[in-house]
Amino acid sequence: MSANKTFFLKLALLLILALILNEALNLAYDRWMYYFRLARNQDEQFATVPDTLKYLMLGNSHNRVNPEILGNGFCYITPKESYRQTWYKLKYILTKTTKRPANVLLSIDPVNFGPKAETDRSFDGYWRKYLDYGELAMEHHDPGYLLNWVSGTFFSYVGNYKYSFMSLLFFNADMKKIKYGYFPARNYKNFAREPNRDQLGYFVASAYLAGYVGRSVICENEYYRRILALCRQYRIHLILLRMPLTDEYLKYARKIVNLDKLDRQIVEFTGRYSTDFEVFDFRNEFHGRPDYFFNADHINPAGAAIISNKIKDEIERKKR
Amino acid sequence: MLFNSIGYLFFLPATVLFYYLIPFRWRWALLLAASYFFYLLWRVEFVLVLMTATAVSWFAARQMGRLPDKRQRVKYLVSVIVVNLGMLVFFKYLGFFTAVVNQLAGIAGKGTMLPLYSLLVPVGISFYTFQTIGYTLDVYRGILKPEKNIGIYALFVSFFPLVLAGPIERGRRLLPQFQVEHKFDPLLFSSGLRLILWGLFKKIVIADRLSIFVQAIYSEPGYFHGVETGLGIVLMLMQVYADFSGYTDIAIGSARLMGFRLSPNFNRPFSARSVADFWSRWHISLTTWLRDYVYFSLPAKFHGKVVKWRLNINLLLTFVLVGFWHGPYWNFIIFGLLQGTYMVLANISRPLMTGFNHISGLEKSPSLLKWLNIAATFLLISSSGFFFGQHALGDSWLMIRNLSDFSHTGTAVMELIKNVDLLAGIALIVFMLWFEYQVAERSFASKFMGKHIVIRFAAYLLMVMFILAMGVFSSQKFFYFQF
Repeated sequence: MSANKTFFLKLALLLILALILNEALNLAYDRWMYYFRLARNQDEQFATVPDTLKYLMLGNSHNRVNPEILGNGFCYITPKESYRQTWYKLKYILTKTTKRPANVLLSIDPVNFGPKAETDRSFDGYWRKYLDYGELAMEHHDPGYLLNWVSGTFFSYVGNYKYSFMSLLFFNADMKKIKYGYFPARNYKNFAREPNRDQLGYFVASAYLAGYVGRSVICENEYYRRILALCRQYRIHLILLRMPLTDEYLKYARKIVNLDKLDRQIVEFTGRYSTDFEVFDFRNEFHGRPDYFFNADHINPAGAAIISNKIKDEIERKKR
Repeated sequence: MLFNSIGYLFFLPATVLFYYLIPFRWRWALLLAASYFFYLLWRVEFVLVLMTATAVSWFAARQMGRLPDKRQRVKYLVSVIVVNLGMLVFFKYLGFFTAVVNQLAGIAGKGTMLPLYSLLVPVGISFYTFQTIGYTLDVYRGILKPEKNIGIYALFVSFFPLVLAGPIERGRRLLPQFQVEHKFDPLLFSSGLRLILWGLFKKIVIADRLSIFVQAIYSEPGYFHGVETGLGIVLMLMQVYADFSGYTDIAIGSARLMGFRLSPNFNRPFSARSVADFWSRWHISLTTWLRDYVYFSLPAKFHGKVVKWRLNINLLLTFVLVGFWHGPYWNFIIFGLLQGTYMVLANISRPLMTGFNHISGLEKSPSLLKWLNIAATFLLISSSGFFFGQHALGDSWLMIRNLSDFSHTGTAVMELIKNVDLLAGIALIVFMLWFEYQVAERSFASKFMGKHIVIRFAAYLLMVMFILAMGVFSSQKFFYFQF
């Protein structure tokens, strides 16, 4: 056999081995990634809830509302979820299942409307169930969405080493703790005990909100608009939440984006596409109370319990 | 198209495959088409600049080739320098010069004199401009015959592995390689693949991981002090090395797949024992270019004799140019000035240092002396890192001031220890330096190739999977593309 032929045979063998190893890692990651397990567990639980569901929490980890406190609710939030993903999930629920939630609770924090939220395309391994990547690629004239489908389907572990390690740490996590889709907020550290809270507030605010700089109209998010339209079509009442944020985060967020203007714009924008909504504002609820936070922009279980009760009280007060 | 993009994953194998499938006489045309396609994906307009630089230097060199007398050739040489260097100055430095004129006018009380320019700099212009001028100078000096085929010459300028960020090749070395048929060579091909893999590892796993920390330090210098600032500066140097040498490895590796041998650009720079030694190991194709075409061209004689002070001034000027080549910022000028000053001081103090080594007994401990020199060189190079970057000069001073503030050390160290990415990055730097030492000094490659195929395959697979699993895939451009 010629040297060239031997070389190509070896190269082909190496490629095949690499593909096999890749598929093994891809399957292992898809099966055991902690967030995938959480989200798929939510999917399974959601299939068993009654069709006449009263409260459906959608969005990302900021929207930490306990459905057990509200009653007849389901928490369908996933980490880093963008409005684009939320819209696809809500569309899936309304068009492919028989569930008809009466109220949808959605957070309208500055981060939701920031450009970073829109460009984040994490967890395609899970989202490929809901997202139509072909449609996204066509709509946005961006073939990158097709690559997202490819990476979510065949290379879900690639570049996700942090989630791999996290999944190893939480390998024995008890999924039975998830009730009505709700899993308790992270609690292994407390923001009050951070020695450099100011610096952390600055970093989180600038990391997620920097894209606001230079934008005059700041809230016109196409997928948020579609969520509003979908809720209107299916006569779903919208409860929009401004969730608590730490003083340190807010201090720097205000320097980057005019929060009052943003809030006004969001309400005005929402009013254009929805007639059935209300806004619950808890943004400054934990002013001077860093102990209710896990980090600069996420409440901890104690904070989540308080907010869930406040939402319940507010809903009941408005009923009266 | 980036070397670390999905597009390149398809572009390179397709180009290599067709390269070997088509007859030799058409290969240059295929590579030229592929190179222009590769380049125009950045911006179509940039191609016009590349074509102009190519056409002007080719035509001038052809004319010079017909003239036996050097004096007659001068006008063609000058035309290339004016046009090609003019385009570089226009796109890259015009904004800087107009700002300087306006500042001077402001000082003189004449207000703003010139409109401010901010042009998009064609990617790779600093590299291919130097390559075309080097070629023209070689033809002018009579050490290189002009290339007759404009297509082959255009390929020399635009060859896709090197058009974006070098190595800055010499006509003498690369042009003849386009004239000969490269048969498929399994050994060269596999060495190219290994180099691409190593380059990707350095770029995706090390450089892009370090850049998260480094960017934070450099973009917010006011927020970091003492240990964090110091570490940020050292890691910036490591990030740039992993990034640029990673890019070069992929470039050289890609060229090897088609049988071409490009010039090395790095030779373990952190083992340098002096600043001059460092610059003979870092971005070699640029420093040797400036040595051959600038430093050697500067007048070294005074009253008919070569004098040291003139050589030192020439050295200083050359390194100011090295700094300025990187970008139209005062930072880079100071960076170059510092490097040049270190070398001039080393030249001046050499007898003193030799005496000190003798008296202190260091001379008798060559190993200790070597490590002291390596450490001192590293510190000197790192110390200029304050100025290496496209940031305001005020930020550099802020970083220098904050470096001596250790009031937040306890908190900072606690935060650094918690930063797993950072710790992993530091461990990977140690691995990179150790591995490159093994390759250069311990004949790693030949030992590795002697291992059983199962061990070699396991090593390759481990490397590929490590890059995929541990890489930072945020589509970061290569650091040197900005230059």
